[in-house]
Amino acid sequence: MTITIALPSKGRMKDDASAIFERAGLKISGIGNDRNYRGRVDGREDIEIAFLSASEIAREIGNGGVDFGVTGEDLVREGLADADRRMEIAARLGFGHADVVVAVPEIWLDVATMADLGDVAADFRTRHGRRLAIATKYWRLTQQFFSSQHGIQLYRIVESLGATEGAPAAGSADIIVDITSTGSTLVANHLKILDDGVILKSEACLVRAKKPAHEGSGLVSEIVERVRAAL
Amino acid sequence: MPLMKLPAFAAELSGLLAARGTERVDTAVIQPAEPFLDMAGEDLRRRIFMTESETGASLCLRPEFTIPVCLRHIETATGTPRRYSYLGEVFRQRRDGPNEFYQAGIEDLGDAATDAADSRAIGDALDILAALLPGRTITTILGDQAVFEAVVGALGLPSGWQKRLIHAFGNMAQLETWLTRLAEPQPVTGLTDEVRGLLEAGDEAALIGWIDRTMAATGYSTNASRSPEDIARRLKQKLALAETRLDPGKIAVLRRFLSLSVPLSEAPAALDGFAAGAGLDLGPALQAFRERVSALTRLGVDAAAITYRAAFGRPLDYYTGLVFEMTGPNGAVLAGGGRFDRLLTLLGAERAIPAVGFALWLDRIETARATGGEA
Repeated sequence: MTITIALPSKGRMKDDASAIFERAGLKISGIGNDRNYRGRVDGREDIEIAFLSASEIAREIGNGGVDFGVTGEDLVREGLADADRRMEIAARLGFGHADVVVAVPEIWLDVATMADLGDVAADFRTRHGRRLAIATKYWRLTQQFFSSQHGIQLYRIVESLGATEGAPAAGSADIIVDITSTGSTLVANHLKILDDGVILKSEACLVRAKKPAHEGSGLVSEIVERVRAAL
Repeated sequence: MPLMKLPAFAAELSGLLAARGTERVDTAVIQPAEPFLDMAGEDLRRRIFMTESETGASLCLRPEFTIPVCLRHIETATGTPRRYSYLGEVFRQRRDGPNEFYQAGIEDLGDAATDAADSRAIGDALDILAALLPGRTITTILGDQAVFEAVVGALGLPSGWQKRLIHAFGNMAQLETWLTRLAEPQPVTGLTDEVRGLLEAGDEAALIGWIDRTMAATGYSTNASRSPEDIARRLKQKLALAETRLDPGKIAVLRRFLSLSVPLSEAPAALDGFAAGAGLDLGPALQAFRERVSALTRLGVDAAAITYRAAFGRPLDYYTGLVFEMTGPNGAVLAGGGRFDRLLTLLGAERAIPAVGFALWLDRIETARATGGEA
């Protein structure tokens, strides 16, 4: 049995993930030049490395194209329906921290909680002739949080593929759901996070695709244990 | 041309719909998605099949008939009252069961005699199910949002709290959250001294002016979203709501109401008893409820065979009164209906049009027919 581990193909995430695997005794080397998207673990014929983009990793975990992946929890939970049935978070790696949050204009003095937002959303159509508009790229997380956890149905999602935090001031949405690590971009755009508006505290994770072949596999548990021990 | 087989009983069902004096209408399978998402909320998005036109307009495969039938009524500007019926395919993403299936139903628009129209909807649904499923046991549950609204109103809560509770009607978990909050109010936090000062001075114009200037200074337009007036008004309302504590006795009254579940024939007396016991005047809502039960009885419907459940509702803001649901022997919902007096104006009708209707799930009826089971 060969196990495929997908790692981020570039940037800080790639370096941090490689460092953890090296500490875990699984030193990764690229095959051929830097631009190659395959890698291997020194001395381990039974492990293959695939370098993919972070969102591709989430998708490959979902369809079982890889056995493990290192990616942000936000991408896995946003990318996969029924995420907990299809994957398991084997280890939280302690880097890439960022929160997915609900943020509203600072000047909404009357809105501090999701309950306040629910009140505003319920009345929005009567007052403004349209539903409350949320700019986000996190469709699934927003729907789950608003509908299932807070019983808020009356809003519309406006897809945003960049500079989400500018949408309220630009008038293209009323509020946002976005990812933030320090909150400074939100502050710069005069937005505030609701008291109970943290949808997900995300970080980079070692994620395992739930596959029947993994049952009782010594190799699968070895990888998980090695990575956990290296943290 | 439908790609899938019509249920074997489609012709019989068409006859049953026509015999009830309805005008059969058809609507396009491909519909603009906006009205559905606008009415049912964003959660619907993952349950419908969406696509985009070449010009970027959001389209979807018809997920149900009520909204298209009402839109068609508004577009054709025909007068009311009107009784429409439909029978056709609908498309929804479902975990279990096929993604395309047939529905049929009746939408009764513009009949001002709501008790008669309500009972006709229930009676029609029951008669059609009895004709298609002879001998099977059909269980009917009925709820009424107007009664709940009357109870909440009679408890003397501020209007903001009434709205919250009414909005959550039909969603027991959400209602529980609110009841807990009402018992344990939470103070408003996070306001700066400057804002507190403006609030305490009671000078609303000054507060609005301050919000207006802050918005201008931070690059927010005062008319694209919530205005300074909106924010100031609700801030004052929120402070009032936060101070509201409903005494435990009244919370117990609300819980007692929500736990009511009795045969419909006994429901008027049970509601009378509840209102008298709690010292509440439920006024016209209870009268309308009683008249509906009488109208049902006059139609020959056995009210003792229907269960009234006080907490039964649909948390959608266009439902206004009656809701009902019929289930078959294996627990599958075969028919669902209710009154949606707000829907037509929300969809753009120029004046309010009272409306009630129901939909039949033909695939489930077909399954129930196949499993036989003479009672």
